[in-house]
Amino acid sequence: MISWRGLLHLLAWACLLSRKPANCADIPEKPENLTCVAVQVKNNEISPTIGCTWVPGTRGSRDLNTNYTLFAEVVLVGLKRAVAKQNNSCEITLDSYPHHMILNIWVEAENDLGKVESEHLSGDADFIVKTSPPSDVKVFSEKHFPTSLLINWTHPIAAEYLKLIYQIRYCSSGSSTWTHVPPVDTAKYIQSFRLQYLQPDTVYVIQVSCKNMREGHGHWSDWSANVTARTPEDKPMSKPDLWRVITPGDSAHERKVLFICKNPVLSNGKIRSFDIRVQGTKWENVLVNGSDSESDYDSSQRKTTHLKQIVLSDRRMGYVEVIAHNSVGKSPKALLVIPKASQELSPVEGLKSWIHSGRLWLEWRPPNVPAGGDAHKYTVTEYVVEWASGAQRDWQREYANTTQTVIRGRLEKYKRYIISVYALFSGWTGKPVTVETFVEQGKPSKGPAVRLNGNPGSTEAELVWNEIPQDEQHGFITNYTIFYSTGTEEHAIPVSADTYSYRLKSLSSKTSYKAWIQASTIAGSCNGTQHSFITLKYAPKEIEGIVVGVCFGFLFLVLLVVLLCIYKRDSIKKTFLPQIPNPGNSSIGTWSPDFPSKADMPRESALADVSVVEVDLFDGKSVFEEDKACLPLKKDKYLSEEHSSGIGGSSCMSSPRQSVSDSDEGGDSSETTASTVQYSSVVACNGYKGQTPSCLPQTNSQPTFSRSESTQPLLDSEENPDMPRQESSRLLHLFPLNPQPRHSANFADMDQLEVEDHGGLLSLRFSALEEDSLQTVPTEEGQSSDWQQAAPVSNYMSQTAGYRPQ
Amino acid sequence: MTNVWFQSFKKVFKECDYDKSVQSACDTVRGRNGHVKIMYFQQSMEPVTTLLSLLLVMAVDSTRSVTLCRNQQCGNFLQQTLKLTRLIHKESVDLIKIYKTTQGDMSELFCKISINNVPDPNISGLDPSERIVSIYSHIQAFLPHFKRVYEQQTDLQLPTNTLMTELTRVSNRSSSLAAMVNCIYQSLFPNMPVPEPAGGPTSLPPSQNIFQQKVYGCVVLKRYKEFLSNAARELRTVKTQVCKKRTQMNVLS
Repeated sequence: MISWRGLLHLLAWACLLSRKPANCADIPEKPENLTCVAVQVKNNEISPTIGCTWVPGTRGSRDLNTNYTLFAEVVLVGLKRAVAKQNNSCEITLDSYPHHMILNIWVEAENDLGKVESEHLSGDADFIVKTSPPSDVKVFSEKHFPTSLLINWTHPIAAEYLKLIYQIRYCSSGSSTWTHVPPVDTAKYIQSFRLQYLQPDTVYVIQVSCKNMREGHGHWSDWSANVTARTPEDKPMSKPDLWRVITPGDSAHERKVLFICKNPVLSNGKIRSFDIRVQGTKWENVLVNGSDSESDYDSSQRKTTHLKQIVLSDRRMGYVEVIAHNSVGKSPKALLVIPKASQELSPVEGLKSWIHSGRLWLEWRPPNVPAGGDAHKYTVTEYVVEWASGAQRDWQREYANTTQTVIRGRLEKYKRYIISVYALFSGWTGKPVTVETFVEQGKPSKGPAVRLNGNPGSTEAELVWNEIPQDEQHGFITNYTIFYSTGTEEHAIPVSADTYSYRLKSLSSKTSYKAWIQASTIAGSCNGTQHSFITLKYAPKEIEGIVVGVCFGFLFLVLLVVLLCIYKRDSIKKTFLPQIPNPGNSSIGTWSPDFPSKADMPRESALADVSVVEVDLFDGKSVFEEDKACLPLKKDKYLSEEHSSGIGGSSCMSSPRQSVSDSDEGGDSSETTASTVQYSSVVACNGYKGQTPSCLPQTNSQPTFSRSESTQPLLDSEENPDMPRQESSRLLHLFPLNPQPRHSANFADMDQLEVEDHGGLLSLRFSALEEDSLQTVPTEEGQSSDWQQAAPVSNYMSQTAGYRPQ
Repeated sequence: MTNVWFQSFKKVFKECDYDKSVQSACDTVRGRNGHVKIMYFQQSMEPVTTLLSLLLVMAVDSTRSVTLCRNQQCGNFLQQTLKLTRLIHKESVDLIKIYKTTQGDMSELFCKISINNVPDPNISGLDPSERIVSIYSHIQAFLPHFKRVYEQQTDLQLPTNTLMTELTRVSNRSSSLAAMVNCIYQSLFPNMPVPEPAGGPTSLPPSQNIFQQKVYGCVVLKRYKEFLSNAARELRTVKTQVCKKRTQMNVLS
């Protein structure tokens, strides 16, 4: 027999002798936080495989490999070990799960220098069990209990294996916040539970979990699958959410007020209809139908119903009362007052907005009570926060003591929202205060389309663009940047966000440019479409300037030439117009039959006054008498009343005398006289003839008068009496009358002309001498031809011949 | 004390020859012995010292289970044993259902047939110690029958059949239950000898035909179920009687 004392001695000696001189710092560090789990794999069966994790130490593992071994000992049954493949986890498999047995688990870290064990997990084997969640969870609603739901489930494992406690959580459908049933109510081995204090007509999602009943033992199971149920309906317990939208009326001083409404927060069932009463009139019923709702966008799962629109004068206040009905009953009454336009109550102050965690937050200060105002009247009872984007509009209510809130509606990114905060004073709405904001800004989805305003110049062009549609701005436009490029060189000009046109300057002429606009927000930029244009070589005003300059130069040149001509006219005249002697200065003017004229009178003046008028004036009576004598063969009409005549229609000559023409028969006139006088001028040779001794032979010769008998010019003068006068006056201009009598000097000149012009073209040449332009005036084709026909050269020549001897 | 230590040591080695699950414990012991051997033989120069150390460790380790049993509180350990008994009873009920479903249409009929060579489910003994020993002995007696049924069903069922799995599981749990009952016995009656299977080795039936095998298997399962029911009742009684008495004694002392 070995006594215990001896054993202790042996033990002491063994320890002393076998003590290893190892460095304790090098042995593995003790694994910490050992945690093991045995999960349920199927009904009434816990997996015999136990999974464990731990936190390995770092000491000693730097230089030496540390092996970890997991031990699981079922007391009184046996020990299992498993070498860990990882340094922080391992699984060990038993023959079967040792329910109601003592299980002892630990992990051992070992390296070449030693080994160390973790703390032992020891206890009833079920202390590491994690069962499956409760199965077959069912929820029942009972008609007469609108705030209650009954939950049933099945134990995931038989009580012989494990007794469990439960926990229950629930939330309304769509909510992300779970409500947990107090554990004291469910920490029992139960299979059913009744949820209370729920909202009527609300869908609830319910989950159940379980764990070993023994405190501190086992792991909570996963939550069971969602089970949903709707609580029964109850009558509405809160007022409808009544609001209004005010827009300008069709006429001045009018407002259109649209009353809109959301279901009561505690509607407790589907709202079937609303009763509305405006301005104290009778109640009207507005049915609520899903398809009848005009703006069925929801916020907080509440529909908006358009109740009624009224036209309200700015000078009148309006109020409306609304009651909601569901299948069970009716709600309390909601009241909203629209004050007069001029009496809107105070707005909130210092409204600020900011984005936090993707949600829009608002903060404001309560409105000030006006000086002398009734504090009770100006006590805020609630606030309405309204947000609108385009046609979409929604609102939410806040308590009177709220000065900071978050928009609970669904706000979209990249959309501009106009946020308004109203203070409500016992149903009276105050003035709104608004801010514009974005939940999140992005870069614009498109840039502005740029175009040219008018045509480009040579060095400048004006670009214009329109504001990007608000839906596509995606943020506040911070600025626009104008880009223009020739292809090789690019320029960028930033301009403010409220600029929609810009004149590019200092462009190169006759150059192709591409221009585009970049719109920027704080989140980014987006380029608009490109627009190409080519600058002109010359600007429009440049062309005008050149043309005007050329014109002025030309005019100046012309003026210069004219002035030059004026100042140098004498020399020019001498150069281009040779000096023609004035016949008026001819000595023949003093010639008379008795006093032969000087043969050597200057010829230049011979044609100046070839006028029969002068002849007439010279001596009409004598001529008349000689004519009578010299024209025996003249027809009667010529003889009858022919007194004399003057050439050219000179008034002083024509007036006292009757002309010899066919028109004489119809009566005297100055016109006919004038035409006649022309021929008389030729006939004046009679006077001249009378002067000549050879008058008789000429008298005998009939052709002398045949020329005068030509009626062609006279007919012309009859048809157009003015013409002869004009022509005669023109002739008078060309050959101004010489106040001095120039009787037969004309003939001398004519004689000379005839010599020069070879006879028969006397009168034609006569005109041409004075001015070329007037050569056509006597109508070469008409009159002059008549002249040629009516004045045979032979006859005239005979006269001159008769004169020559003189 | 020394007697107890050696009895426990003996028990462990005996179980190592008997049960697979206990085999693990044997490995553990051997492993620990091996570990000690490695540590001490490599570093100790004195074989005598090593031998002494080995003997010391063996002695300490062997007394651990006995110490464990004796340190268990009466109520808790009995309660755990009672739970395990109920669990095995439940599993035996399920096992009978599974067995019937796997044996064909006549299962209900041949399960009513009574045969010999199957342990009686009734627990014998006058005082608690005897009744606990009876429980322990019955469990030990049923285990060879379970083994025989398993062997017979191996020819009839696939190894993966639920019946085979459940048979193995019930058999394993029964071994654990036997160890726990033994521990209770040692705990409650430390000065009493360790119980041995009454009547020597279990007598197994001779070779049988298929029908006889099916009848035999069903009778074994039913008898075992009845035994477990009786054992649970008995353990509850023991818990009430013995643990209450012990609690009163502790209070008085």
